[in-house]
Amino acid sequence: MVEPLQLQTAAWALTTALELALFVLFVRRKLGRTYPAFFAYLVSVILQSMAVAALYRTPNLNKLTFWLIAWGTQGVVVLMRSLTVVELSRRVLRRYIGIWALARRLFLGVAAVVIAYDLALSKGDWQWMILNGVRGLELAMAAVIVTMLLFARYYRAPVNPLQRALAVGLCLYSAFYVINYSVLERILQQFAVLWNFLGMFAFIASLLVWINGANLYVEAEEVAAPPAIPAELYGKLSSEVNSRLILLNRQLIQFLRLEDRSQ
Amino acid sequence: MSLPAILLVLFALLLVGLLAWALRQPSHAIRPDLDVFDALRQSRHSARMSHVLQALQPEDTEYLRESGQVALMQTLRRQRRRIALGYLDQLQEEFEMLLEISRVLAVMSPEVIGMEEMERWKLSLTFAAACAFLRWKLRLGLQPFSGFTLLSNMAADITRQLDATTTRIAEVAVRGSEHASPGHKNIDGL
Repeated sequence: MVEPLQLQTAAWALTTALELALFVLFVRRKLGRTYPAFFAYLVSVILQSMAVAALYRTPNLNKLTFWLIAWGTQGVVVLMRSLTVVELSRRVLRRYIGIWALARRLFLGVAAVVIAYDLALSKGDWQWMILNGVRGLELAMAAVIVTMLLFARYYRAPVNPLQRALAVGLCLYSAFYVINYSVLERILQQFAVLWNFLGMFAFIASLLVWINGANLYVEAEEVAAPPAIPAELYGKLSSEVNSRLILLNRQLIQFLRLEDRSQ
Repeated sequence: MSLPAILLVLFALLLVGLLAWALRQPSHAIRPDLDVFDALRQSRHSARMSHVLQALQPEDTEYLRESGQVALMQTLRRQRRRIALGYLDQLQEEFEMLLEISRVLAVMSPEVIGMEEMERWKLSLTFAAACAFLRWKLRLGLQPFSGFTLLSNMAADITRQLDATTTRIAEVAVRGSEHASPGHKNIDGL
């Protein structure tokens, strides 16, 4: 029977192999220029794997040092992932100046609320603050990605397959991290090895989604920015269109009342 | 596990659900060639509301009951309910067209008013819910119709307001086209 530790080692090896494959794919397709933050994130993940592997091989390392180095590198990786989310959102919405300005404010608001809520759960304990802070960041990233995709859907902003793949991979990994950290690792400590393995499995799934997205990537011409109208014209037309929508809504509600009265 | 942590997990699951929804193809076709001002000039179904309401008035069919033709009265009312359903479809189409117009405007504007967009989003949710509810009520064949006169008058009033609003939109659009700076790329010849 395969030991859980052997499985974990195999998963680790597979993760590193997939990270390197994605790295090579990005270099060959020159995607590092188009998505520099994601490329930097990928490099930081590979370096983190190497650093942790080196730590495991270092004898007589005290627990606190190990903890600080491990979480320090994790902090860098999470920071790089946050920059990736910003880069991705910007690339999807930047053509629409007004929408992007509105989305930026909304993203900041969403991220701030989520992180503040999560930090409030730490009750001032600095160790929990770091752990909860990372969880808050992960949740904020997932929330920002989903908000960005909802914006793109509502305003019909095109999202190419690679952008979709990056968004799906980042969001699913972050959501899984939050669930794993909140439920599994706290309640079911005895299955820690299994949950570690599941965490790695989520990252492997994300890597596969990204590799598929990078494979599908076709260098296309940038979609041109839509023609511009003066902001004042938008303001006036927008409020008038809203008035017309309100009236239509009222008309519909009249219909409803009509039905109610007829009962 | 504490309640706040449960809420976090539920939020993460909600995000996964929303992610799946956001990645679905939109049910309505994208209209890249939408001409905003042409669309605003198109005929408005809402203007026919008073006629539809008139057709749904019980007095219109009540005389058939009095003359003993209950079956005919019921057939007529069924047909009129079908007409009301058709009208509802057109109302929804008009609403969606306005939403599409507002999206096109927002996409083209260098500055977007958050409150206006939020208001529109809320309106679209309310409208979609009310439309679905009403459609089901009509499909279930609930017995109409009484107390129409007052509502019919109200409808005529709203139609007048809608007309005035649309006229204002057209005026603003024309003024906008006149004042559009030469440096701007404009929409559809504006």
